[in-house]
Amino acid sequence: MIQILVRYCTLFVLTLLVLAIISFSLAYLFPGDTLENLTGLVPENDIQRAALERQFKLDQSYIFQFFYYVGNLLTGDWGYSFTSGLPLREEVGIAMPATIELATYAMLMALFVGVPLGYYAGIRCYSTSDHLINSVSITTYSFPVFWFALLLILIFSLQLDAAPMSGRISLLYDIEPVTGFILIDILLSDIENKSLAFKDALSHIALPTFSIGAIATASMIRVTRRSVIDVKHRPYIAAALSRGLSSWQIFFRHILRNALLPILPLMAIQITTLITNAMIVETLFSWPGIGNWLIQAIYQRDYPALRIGMMAVSFVVITLTILIDLFNRMIDPSREKYERATV
Amino acid sequence: MPQFSLYDEEFHPSPWQRTWASFKASHISMLGLIMLALFVVCAVFAPLITPYDAVEQNIDGLLIPPSWVTNGSISHLFGTDALGRDLFTRIIYGCRITLGSAFITVVLAMLVGVSLGTFAGMLRGVRSSIANHLLDALMAIPTLLIAIIIVAILGTGLVNSMWAITLALIPQFVHHTRSFVRAEMKKEYIVASKLDGASKWQLFVHSILPNMTEMLVVQSTLALSIAVIDISALGFLNLGAQSPLPELGVILADGLDVAYLAPWNVAVPGMAIFFMVLSINIVGDGLRSALRKRVSH
Repeated sequence: MIQILVRYCTLFVLTLLVLAIISFSLAYLFPGDTLENLTGLVPENDIQRAALERQFKLDQSYIFQFFYYVGNLLTGDWGYSFTSGLPLREEVGIAMPATIELATYAMLMALFVGVPLGYYAGIRCYSTSDHLINSVSITTYSFPVFWFALLLILIFSLQLDAAPMSGRISLLYDIEPVTGFILIDILLSDIENKSLAFKDALSHIALPTFSIGAIATASMIRVTRRSVIDVKHRPYIAAALSRGLSSWQIFFRHILRNALLPILPLMAIQITTLITNAMIVETLFSWPGIGNWLIQAIYQRDYPALRIGMMAVSFVVITLTILIDLFNRMIDPSREKYERATV
Repeated sequence: MPQFSLYDEEFHPSPWQRTWASFKASHISMLGLIMLALFVVCAVFAPLITPYDAVEQNIDGLLIPPSWVTNGSISHLFGTDALGRDLFTRIIYGCRITLGSAFITVVLAMLVGVSLGTFAGMLRGVRSSIANHLLDALMAIPTLLIAIIIVAILGTGLVNSMWAITLALIPQFVHHTRSFVRAEMKKEYIVASKLDGASKWQLFVHSILPNMTEMLVVQSTLALSIAVIDISALGFLNLGAQSPLPELGVILADGLDVAYLAPWNVAVPGMAIFFMVLSINIVGDGLRSALRKRVSH
């Protein structure tokens, strides 16, 4: 157990180190002058340039610069955005929870809709209802997420006028960000019409969540179904059948938990797709998340923001992936390290 | 009188023939294959099929509705866009660019991924542990993030977005190859070849690779559908292919400006991407279940 923990910790630190190296070298890889890319200032003369170089430690060796950069990352001095002039730490601190909120709800949707449907389809495999569920899920899975979101906007926002098109909450409500999750923040805040604000935030969050969640759900259904079918053909199910257990008993005692095992590591892969989709959908719904922020940053060529944004997003994704992997190892120590479910 | 010959009449289908037979048995898979073939034909013979040039503008015919609408015209099957370019032509060329670049991307990713994966799969000890864990962790970086970084370094363009997507697809191939090679290295026929004195390279080329082709085909259909979606997504976000180039995501983004006036400019390219991805997914699914059936019987 301790060995596994140590192993995962070293892995985590190593990966972060690799990421930090990549992120550090980006400043030199971006086109243009390194000093200008880092500071956003154009030095007027050589004296000013030398002063700035000294201030940003550019006159030192690369290795010293790298450790300086890592030190800055750890102490929270992440630099300033070119475009807004605000500290990047603040901006990421606002944008990141918004994306995580969106992705969390989509993941919950995938878990609470996708997994039961997948179980149902897997139990009834090769029947009409299974074929129906399977074809719906493969169709949904094939939707390009940006077009799906556009269709939702077209139908629900423009035609039916049922949900707002953009933003997180109506400007009428002033919510103090505490956790960064808008729904929780509303519950924590002490404004008068809390329920109205909550309803408003829900209507804002519904469409983006649904557009990401539908695709995640579809792939969850396919994975769960495959896993259930695989478990159904195992010898221990045949043994249970021959002992005379009813199909319900077999399902609850043997299939339910065993089929869940290969799904967990797949969730780790899902997170990547989920975050990518969330980033694309954010730009369509003007959701103030990290994806929208990064894409604005690339349009403006805001290099410090890109550098930090890359670090922040991959930090979150890798932390989650490693945590899920670790959890998976803990609940099932017998499994082969690299085994993963198939669709 | 013809002689009855037991041995001549018996027909032993090869593994691929058996796969094809069970693939053919599913009507949905065949439909998907026909759809995909249609897209491929459109992509290959685009200059012969299309009536106009993809970037040819016609200011006398802006935003003509598609031909099935009453005031549409049959000379523009899917209508025209805001610059009077024929949408049908652009979609056909779009299939060519999107599908073609996705295909190249997947082949590149497969070549690199398989070589890296084999390498990682044959490694032993601490080196293998470090290589594997790092690859696993780097697999977690989202495609869009890689694309954004590459665009920031190299600038926008179709080729740069292809590089980004290749980089994002490689880890999948590495992962699958690695676990396949690891599982295979433990089997007896590999041990037998080893005892015959086969080197690692010979083991890979003569024993593992032939067994791996099926896995690779299935993986590449999966990767192809991801690549199509990602290339068009990057085009749509203005980070990949740039505007006059008829790439499906770019056409969709162009159509978005006139979505109120001419909704077909958004609907048709979206449908094209959707059906392309759907057909690839159906073929991949059919192939997977055909292979599974063959292995289990």
